Amino acid sequence: MSIPLPPPQPANQSNFNRHHLNPLPPSVFTLPQTAQLEALYTIIRDKETKRGDFLFYSDRIIRLLVEEGLNHLPVVKRTVETPTGATYDGVGFEGKICGVSILRAGEAMEAGLREVCRSVRIGKILIQRDEETALPKLFYSKFPQDIATRYVLLLDPMLATGGSAMKAVEVLIEHGVPEERIIFVNLIASPEGLTTFCTRYPSLKVVTGWIDQGLNDKAYIIPGLGDFGERR
Amino acid sequence: MPDEFIKNELEEHRPSTPPHFQTTRRDDLMYLQPRKNTVLVSHGRPPWYAEDGQRTSDAFVIGVAGGSASGKTHVARQIVHKLGSIPTVIILSQDSFYKYHNEEELALAHANLLDFDHPDAIDMPMFAACLADLKACKQSNIPVYSFAEHQRLEEKRYLYGATIIIAEGIMALHDSALRSLYDLKVFVQCDSDLMLARRIKRDVKERARNVEGILDQYLRYVKPSYDNFVRPSSSHADIIVPGSNNEVAIELICTHIRQQLQERSNCMRQRMAIPHRYLRSKSGTSSPESRLEDLNLAVLPKTPQLEGIFTILRSKETSRQDFIFFVDRLSTILVENALQHLPYVPKTVVTPVGVESHGMKIDADLICGVTIMRSGGALERGFKRVINDVPLGSLLIQSDSKTGEPMLLQVMLPAYVRLRHLAKNAWVFLLDAQIGTGAAAFMAIRILLDHGVRENHIVFVTFIVARGGGISVLRRAFPEVKVLCGAVDDRVREGWLEGYRGEGNPEGQGRQVWIMQPGMGQIGDRYYI
Repeated sequence: MSIPLPPPQPANQSNFNRHHLNPLPPSVFTLPQTAQLEALYTIIRDKETKRGDFLFYSDRIIRLLVEEGLNHLPVVKRTVETPTGATYDGVGFEGKICGVSILRAGEAMEAGLREVCRSVRIGKILIQRDEETALPKLFYSKFPQDIATRYVLLLDPMLATGGSAMKAVEVLIEHGVPEERIIFVNLIASPEGLTTFCTRYPSLKVVTGWIDQGLNDKAYIIPGLGDFGERR
Repeated sequence: MPDEFIKNELEEHRPSTPPHFQTTRRDDLMYLQPRKNTVLVSHGRPPWYAEDGQRTSDAFVIGVAGGSASGKTHVARQIVHKLGSIPTVIILSQDSFYKYHNEEELALAHANLLDFDHPDAIDMPMFAACLADLKACKQSNIPVYSFAEHQRLEEKRYLYGATIIIAEGIMALHDSALRSLYDLKVFVQCDSDLMLARRIKRDVKERARNVEGILDQYLRYVKPSYDNFVRPSSSHADIIVPGSNNEVAIELICTHIRQQLQERSNCMRQRMAIPHRYLRSKSGTSSPESRLEDLNLAVLPKTPQLEGIFTILRSKETSRQDFIFFVDRLSTILVENALQHLPYVPKTVVTPVGVESHGMKIDADLICGVTIMRSGGALERGFKRVINDVPLGSLLIQSDSKTGEPMLLQVMLPAYVRLRHLAKNAWVFLLDAQIGTGAAAFMAIRILLDHGVRENHIVFVTFIVARGGGISVLRRAFPEVKVLCGAVDDRVREGWLEGYRGEGNPEGQGRQVWIMQPGMGQIGDRYYI
């Protein structure tokens, strides 16, 4: 009688995440690799894309990422009565959350986070390369006081070598946040960075939108999208 | 109610006669123009299709002809007036269909030397084509003729959605193609003396013209045209109505129209609401309650967050502030998901790193949204968060306060849908909060199909669908429409709404209503009021 709906178009074979990193570490979750998502990435990767479009389309991806990230939080059973007098067995959200953005590109993801989690607390962290040691060094951090009791959504759009993300996790753990209560939310990851990161923090969940080919000799993600903070 | 309405349409909007008129009899048409080609709505348009999605009847078309100043417009107005609580009526005037003039004709027209009373002055094939479209319940974009410029303008006037069409003009019965479209042919008979007398009186009083000029034109064009073309066409009329003192004739016509409309009306909401109880399959057996897998719905993946959002939205304890926030969040997720149903093609770009990236892009130019007011408006913010540069139209569909049938009250569609040649390539996202009885969704889809939108280019986006409700009828009627929802509810419960005093129901008589179970309550009220 009725024709089943065709599945949504998938992304190009050669672009699939597993094409660049197989198998995925068990703690890594990616957005569904649909043609639609790939089209969003195509817009923000294009160097001809204007700032307004870059903002709009990267915000859309960020919202999808945050929605996916929140799905890794626990829920509890909750029964409610509907206005029509019926009862409904649903779930309620459990646990407090906060966002932590890695400056400066991570800040760009805050608006998207607040659209999904109204008035969520947001901490900040600044990590830069130490000129002497060439290692990532903490320059500044400011967190909600009770961060140790919260789930943390750690925001950084680009995961290249993974150096600053790992430093940020280190700082969070020092503040009493257990590794398994951190969810790292990320737009584009390099296979190298992802492998290093997940090997060091295996129980920390990573939600990423796309896994790219790799890094070039300047440690830029390829094909990537350039400097995220710069383009916003 | 209709009285008032007609008064508004016909009296208040009458423009004052422009000071610069130097033309001859064209001015009376300019002065009449605002009364014509308008859609008069009194209490909305009931369904014009059956449960199978097909149109059950054409619009009822009345052709009204008669000499100039014989009282055609008066007769048309009287019919609308006497019909009382009218559905949607379009009065289509022959004046819109004057031909496009070349330079030479234009010069003649400005010198009052062009014969506008000859049948050749009118673009009969176009008149017939537009009327045929409207009769078949399609949209029509009719030409606009300027009497000041004596020329057809670039712009078009969009008309759609009439139950009754009155086509009027001196040549309305002259053309055989037009005649074949009429369900009722009316000729307004008036004494030549009387028509001339009215003409002189009107032109002298309202246009400050002299009697000599009026007579000159009358003898040169108007009278020969009447004798040669207009009066002979009266032989085609079903009924000849006197130009004055015609109450009895109008009453007869109205009785006939009412009877015709009664035969064509189709009440289907109740049968649709709980189809397994009221609708019989072809073999006569009662159809079984539909199973979810037969409904071919795209349902959002049931994630913990989605479940949590629905729990908040369904709870009657939820504050309005929270309700709005989570409705916006849910509709954003829904519309993101809906975009997966568009076609995509490969696209290669160069990234700022200087590397090629082989990706995809949407392969559709004409994307638009249409919300079903009021509760569909709850999806608008989410829609705009995801699609920021496409037109968004709306349809106002409300339940009739007595019968509960859906009534189409207003149509505001994007240009992509209004224009037929674009509509066939357009992709339309239809937004409504829920599909319960499916009556509004059914009507909205039918409207898009009437406009020429392809069935498989329609994506219906909604929060909840009731499995046991009208969705199965909708699926059978329009199998290729994609329906995307956030959750599936069990059933639709019949209820009785007491003492709801609405328009057209001043006594507050109760009526049947259908309630989603468990549902989210009145989504429109919770979001807006």
